[in-house]
Amino acid sequence: MAEKWRTEKKRPTIKVLPWPAVPVPTVDEVYAGVDEKRKEYSLWVEAQVRQQFNADKPESLDGIRVLDMTTSQIIGHWCSSHFSELGAEVIMVEPTGGDPLRQWAPFGREEYKFAAANGEKCSPRFLAEARNKLSITLNVETKEGQALLKSIIPQVDILIENAPPGHYDKLGIGYRQLSEINPRLVYLWVGERGQWGPLKDQPGAMDPVGQCSMGFVHGTGAPVSFGGTPTRSGWWLADQVGGTFAAMGAMAALYARERFLGKGQFVEGTAAEGVVRIIDYNWGWYGMDGSVRPRYGNWDLAINIYAVNPCADGQIMVGGGHDRLWFRIWRTVGKDRPELEQHICEDPKLRVVTDRLPHYMQVETYTTMCDWTKDKTRAECEKALQEEEVASGGVSFLDEVCEFPHYKYRGHIEICDDVNYGKVLLGASSFIGSNTPGRIKWIGRTIGQDNEDVYRRLAGLDREKLAALRKGGVI
Amino acid sequence: MTAAVSKNLKDMTFEDFCRTVFDTTKRFEKPETLKGIRAVSTTQYILGPSCASYLAELGAETIKVELPKRGEPMRHTTPFNEPFLYPLSRWMPDKGTGLGFFGANPNEYFMSLDFHKPEAIQIMKRLAAKTDVFCENYRAGTFDRWGIGYRQHAQVNPRVVYQWMGGFGGWGPGRNRASYDILGQAQGGCFSITGWHKEYGGMPSKQTIWIMDYWGGAISAFNIIACLYWRDNVSNKGNFLEYSQVHGAQRHLTDLIALYGRTGIVAQRFGNWEPLLCVHGILKCGKSSYPNSKNPQEQEVGFCFVSAYKDEDFANLCKVIGKPDLAKKYPTHADRVGADAQSAIYPELDKWAADKTKEQVWEEFKKAGLVSQPVWNSKEVSSQEHFHLRGSLAWIDDPTFGDVQTQVLPCLMSETPPRVRWTFKPVGADNEYILAKLCGFSGSRIKELEEKEIT
Repeated sequence: MAEKWRTEKKRPTIKVLPWPAVPVPTVDEVYAGVDEKRKEYSLWVEAQVRQQFNADKPESLDGIRVLDMTTSQIIGHWCSSHFSELGAEVIMVEPTGGDPLRQWAPFGREEYKFAAANGEKCSPRFLAEARNKLSITLNVETKEGQALLKSIIPQVDILIENAPPGHYDKLGIGYRQLSEINPRLVYLWVGERGQWGPLKDQPGAMDPVGQCSMGFVHGTGAPVSFGGTPTRSGWWLADQVGGTFAAMGAMAALYARERFLGKGQFVEGTAAEGVVRIIDYNWGWYGMDGSVRPRYGNWDLAINIYAVNPCADGQIMVGGGHDRLWFRIWRTVGKDRPELEQHICEDPKLRVVTDRLPHYMQVETYTTMCDWTKDKTRAECEKALQEEEVASGGVSFLDEVCEFPHYKYRGHIEICDDVNYGKVLLGASSFIGSNTPGRIKWIGRTIGQDNEDVYRRLAGLDREKLAALRKGGVI
Repeated sequence: MTAAVSKNLKDMTFEDFCRTVFDTTKRFEKPETLKGIRAVSTTQYILGPSCASYLAELGAETIKVELPKRGEPMRHTTPFNEPFLYPLSRWMPDKGTGLGFFGANPNEYFMSLDFHKPEAIQIMKRLAAKTDVFCENYRAGTFDRWGIGYRQHAQVNPRVVYQWMGGFGGWGPGRNRASYDILGQAQGGCFSITGWHKEYGGMPSKQTIWIMDYWGGAISAFNIIACLYWRDNVSNKGNFLEYSQVHGAQRHLTDLIALYGRTGIVAQRFGNWEPLLCVHGILKCGKSSYPNSKNPQEQEVGFCFVSAYKDEDFANLCKVIGKPDLAKKYPTHADRVGADAQSAIYPELDKWAADKTKEQVWEEFKKAGLVSQPVWNSKEVSSQEHFHLRGSLAWIDDPTFGDVQTQVLPCLMSETPPRVRWTFKPVGADNEYILAKLCGFSGSRIKELEEKEIT
């Protein structure tokens, strides 16, 4: 079947239902049967943070201007999304043909791209992180381009770039030169392994370099004895984690500037080191006794039970290593398989939390657990476990994620009705708050759509100069 | 900076300039970004603690409040029940803290408090009145019921930035559901697109790290700093922030959500290859780099990533593996990136690498000027001078535990760099310091609280 699908020249057309295919639950449905006192707090939070009230609230970074000069990588765009969601004016500075990322659609399929009102096409990977950003074009390799950039730098708070190490410095628009023009500038370089040090990045290096170079790929996937290999994350995980830490650095620099420093600084954030920071205890463990963190498939080295277990229609996640949840999990299992509950709960070797952690104990608990899950569907497992308030949930595919009632009710998945790209379904900003929530205002611009606006506003260019720059291939 | 040094900085090579301004040995000579900001964190596991610890690494005085004696649950998790750092607390010197506690608690002050006692609630209120940031991850509404939630805080301290973090959020159909990191990964769709496809014998794979916890903490910390910025420069007002972990998980896949919304396509797993680009994947190298090692992990064959999606790079790659006809068959990226083409190209690369170690493969690719990176394990990463020189990995002389290798917040900053002063401390290590400093308690009062098991 799969072979036929691949070789088939004519692909079936898919009829896409308008989202949401299943209606969003209403407030009355959600709180049906809950007494007033218990409902009160939930309704209060809801009133504080509901996204439909966002437009009436201020934005915490209103008035901050960010130039995002990164291309071909998601780390910079991901980083600047943090600022644009919180209200900063983020201007994407693309090369004259547009960022190459605009062209990369899954499997090169044109039909997976989003067409703008003017017919220009853009890949979802780029578009999703172009939220609330303006787009201008600039060829920084030309003398005029560099002069133009320098002329707007005094009005910029944060500049983000990911050129090869030292490239902007050589062009005369690096931190050393720009900080002389604007000492309050926060200059952020982002990349995979760093712009200095023995492993300096090579040009064009992208996410998997970050994932491979710090132990993530080695540790993900099943062990060899389970038929597994090192596995990369299906999304650009390292770039996204590194981008968040880079944003934190730039935000901290901005805060320090206002609080006491009075000037900007040079900040650097990389994908590899971002994940180095969050890869649990790997470094402490190696430093302690030379242990190398192994791959452990869908189980967890440090918590038992904490895994996704195979079940009849996919995988079901069950978690709860500590006594309170541990016994509830087995009580759930025991409801229809009392012998399994008995087997685990009567085992003296499994009484204490830490005693459950050695490998052979994990094998015992998971084989017992799978004995229970294997004939049940995800929904059946989930329902049974949630009756006992155990953290559990099925492994969801993207359609199930988009139709998840909880997300829809809370506005985690939202439709952005954009002037350029029409209605686009998106993951909403994760900055939820009462006074200054993050939000999506528009989804993206076509290449250089804001040239006129930005260059007139920030560089004072007039019609003749703009035309000349356009003709000279500078913008 | 003196005039002579600043002139010098201008004439240096770029590499030397970076080494000078980011010099990790000078970190402690520079000011801290969040010096003078106080954060109170009553959090467990990873999501909440990591958020507070990022603030602590940036210089905030972060006070972590745990239950007395045994502390928070994460102290009792450690890989395979092997390594522990002793002691757990001065009351339990024969028990240790597991490595699960490791990455999420540096630089914090540790205080113990039993919230089930009314005196503890009084102490909590006094701390809350003096704090800039308050992080908690108890079940939504619990602190409110106890009289120490945002509504009560805001009355005495309207400038507080109150961050609630948890699984499904305090409202909506799933508000009562419990959550863990991998539930975020599962219900955010992250599992379903990681690992090999069924056709290749694979199943969804979890990301090895507790990513949704650590990343959720990072994004919350970013939001907190932004709110502090808004408070101090714009409004003089605090904020109530809610972070839901499952929400953060789907934020990572927003492009695939857009794709689903427009075309109905449900993205699938594609193993170690890349749907967007080709060649841009991880090759299996047939030989182990350490065939004589006693560690079975090191006897495994190696893996190496290579990227050659541009036409000239791909031609170059084909030359390296001795298959110039491949370059002729797939001359443009559009020819290569389809699933059929990828399934044809990668086996050829694997075949070429079958008699090589990952280092040999890396060498060959580097010689040809291709972007490449072997898959390193935690030992190989720990031995990289690169990460130690840049300070993202560091050996520190920890005040409690001695020599410890640890990770450091990876924002390299030239003027106000983050730093790690200690990895963590035993339960209740700073009770005396915090109670005397912030509540003005006398020594005998502090002892009394300890005897009544309130702290």
